[in-house]
Amino acid sequence: MNKAAFYDLDGTLLSCNLVTMHAYYARNDRSLLKSAYQLTKVLLSVPLLFGLDLYSRSLFNVFSFRAYRGMHRDRLIGLADDLFEVTLKPSIFPQAQALIHTTYELGYRNVLVTGTLDFTIRPIALHFGIEEVICNRLEFKNHVATGRVLAPLLAENEKARSIHEYAVREGIDLAQSCAFSDSSADVPMLSSVGFPVATNPTRRLRRIALEKNWPILELRESSSKFPPFLRAAKAH
Amino acid sequence: MKPLTTWRWNPVQGEYESGDAVPLQGTGEIFAIDAFSHKTMLLLGCTGFVGKVLLAMVLDRFPELRHLVVQVRRRRNLPGEERFYTEILRSPPLRPIVERLGGEPILRKKVQVVEGDLDQPLCGIRVEAVRQLERKVDVVVNLAGVVDFDPPVNESFDTNVYGTRHLIELVQLLNAKLVHVSTSYVAGKKNGRITEDVSVGYFPVRDARDGRHFSVDEEIEWYETFLSETRENRGGDPRPVRERLRAGGMNRAEFWGWTNTYTYTKSMGEQLIARTPGLTYSIVRPAIVESSLHFPFAGWNEGFTTSAPLVLMGGEGVKGWPVSNGPLEIIPVDLVASGILIITAAVLCGKNQPVYHLASADENPILLPRLVAFLGMNSRYKHKHKKSGNRLANLWKAYVETQVITVESLQARRARLRRGLDVIHAALTLGKTILGPDRVSPYLKSLRDTRRQIRQQEVTLDKFLPFMFHNSFIFETRNIRDAARMLTKEDLKRLEWDPKTIDWADYWVNIHTKGIEKWIRPVFTGKEKRDSQHSPP
Repeated sequence: MNKAAFYDLDGTLLSCNLVTMHAYYARNDRSLLKSAYQLTKVLLSVPLLFGLDLYSRSLFNVFSFRAYRGMHRDRLIGLADDLFEVTLKPSIFPQAQALIHTTYELGYRNVLVTGTLDFTIRPIALHFGIEEVICNRLEFKNHVATGRVLAPLLAENEKARSIHEYAVREGIDLAQSCAFSDSSADVPMLSSVGFPVATNPTRRLRRIALEKNWPILELRESSSKFPPFLRAAKAH
Repeated sequence: MKPLTTWRWNPVQGEYESGDAVPLQGTGEIFAIDAFSHKTMLLLGCTGFVGKVLLAMVLDRFPELRHLVVQVRRRRNLPGEERFYTEILRSPPLRPIVERLGGEPILRKKVQVVEGDLDQPLCGIRVEAVRQLERKVDVVVNLAGVVDFDPPVNESFDTNVYGTRHLIELVQLLNAKLVHVSTSYVAGKKNGRITEDVSVGYFPVRDARDGRHFSVDEEIEWYETFLSETRENRGGDPRPVRERLRAGGMNRAEFWGWTNTYTYTKSMGEQLIARTPGLTYSIVRPAIVESSLHFPFAGWNEGFTTSAPLVLMGGEGVKGWPVSNGPLEIIPVDLVASGILIITAAVLCGKNQPVYHLASADENPILLPRLVAFLGMNSRYKHKHKKSGNRLANLWKAYVETQVITVESLQARRARLRRGLDVIHAALTLGKTILGPDRVSPYLKSLRDTRRQIRQQEVTLDKFLPFMFHNSFIFETRNIRDAARMLTKEDLKRLEWDPKTIDWADYWVNIHTKGIEKWIRPVFTGKEKRDSQHSPP
């Protein structure tokens, strides 16, 4: 049976988050005035989003995606490469590519499982050489974003459900699979696999990882060692 | 990247839909696998952009194919057969397929190469070779043609008119059927929906010219007289012969309502075929053929008569684009290759129509203002990260958005630009007198280069105006949709006709523009350098 490596994105492989990504699109609107207006809206919403993220990742996602309302899909796709070069690529953690390469070499099917939007993910997935992506999608009407996300909203328990569904469809043995995330919101996903790894964990996830005896990996530090199951398998 | 989702993008509605797409259920009236397994195809023009992809597709998707004959033109000292094996089979779309099939030795068993040239009687194929092909070839697929918009008129006539005569003679001698690739733009200067038909005596402004009639024979007479008069230069025109032949073709095309010499001569080729009694034929009219969607790989492009020059100009930071609100009729090359194979199978099965448009706007139009916005975003991406060149110019090209403008506004902008450059030129010339040539000459050279570049951009844009601004077409595509529906289920796994599912934003940004930057820009830049070296200072 096949095995897979499931990767969260924001905070796990790179240091960006949904707000910085949206801020990029806001400040790159068609005119300077529109850009200023959109960026002001994003900045004003930051305290609310920060509070929401502490309370519920799903609610945080719902509110942060509302800011896309009125944006044309062509523009979101057309600017994605620039967003990657300007904002995302510089924020990739030093050891992220090596980790992805290791799991690939060890026969894991690398899958990105992230709340980030599809058009933003594309250049990142290409950069990492990850073929399969489970992510969120905005709802559009006549090519214009409504500000809503298409169901199911990928966060928390939904990530776990998605990888279970993926495993059944693709014949993946979850007990032999691994998952990487930085956030306690992804505990359901991490708990679904045989080899969960708390990666650059938040304080809350670090506590949970220590309780559950999950390995902790710091991709920000180039000296950090990969967990034993990756090293042992590599030795074989 | 493979997004794992149950949502499908509907490009026509501009929204996501849930559930899997319903696959086309073929009726089985056309059996392409069977047709290509038991019949022999003679392919003319496999050295071009579409031809190579078509050849790659036949070899890749129809391993049952027993025998294929390809006609290849000699290039200078390179004989046709050698050209096929050293140049064509080693080109990017074919190399991986040839390797996968087991290399040249396997292909030598399946493919017979004959040297020839459409400009010559019997398409330049030796009489012994023609005799060998008699009763062996079932269908001739012709993709050869001069596709330059405004070449000297003799080049267009030799291939697109006389060449079609030679083609008909060959097809009749072989007792074969004919699939002839033309262009949708034979419609000429018209607007609205263009139907799939061919009529002898057609010319685009027929409705506006009461009493006039068009005849290919009379046009050939006109051409022969014009050619001899131009070569003898009876009028004492000081322009080079080549330039006069070029202008003559364009003027004649304009007179009858065609956009350029290419479409004028292609239409005549079609009319020659349509008026030939007893000929079983289908005319295939692709719209503007663009980068591949999937096959042989996403983004393959080598066509200079595609939108490539416009995309390259957009990437250079051109901001004002005179376009209408209508669609640009583009179609990926792999869909064109697939369409031609569907039509060839239809011809072999006796289920063909006389004319097929291969275009996209009938089902899934991409409107020109959207493309203008994409050009702007590409310019932003390229110049924002550019380390070389003038910093201010890079900022302008990165942050000023592209605009849809009128032709009048375009002319006004050009006049302003010329006046500005004239002022700079005058100032530099004065500076040269005061400061000496050593200090000023580099700036004057730079100014000359800028003028040349602007001139080239103007010429390119003008060539495309009929397709972007003056006329707005939708080419009807019912015939190819019907043909695809007639295939068997097995055929439908190998041949597709589905432009309605193309996500234009993804295609234009992630496939087409990147394909042009990768495959066309290096060639174009080299060509530009060569041109500037040969052009007078």
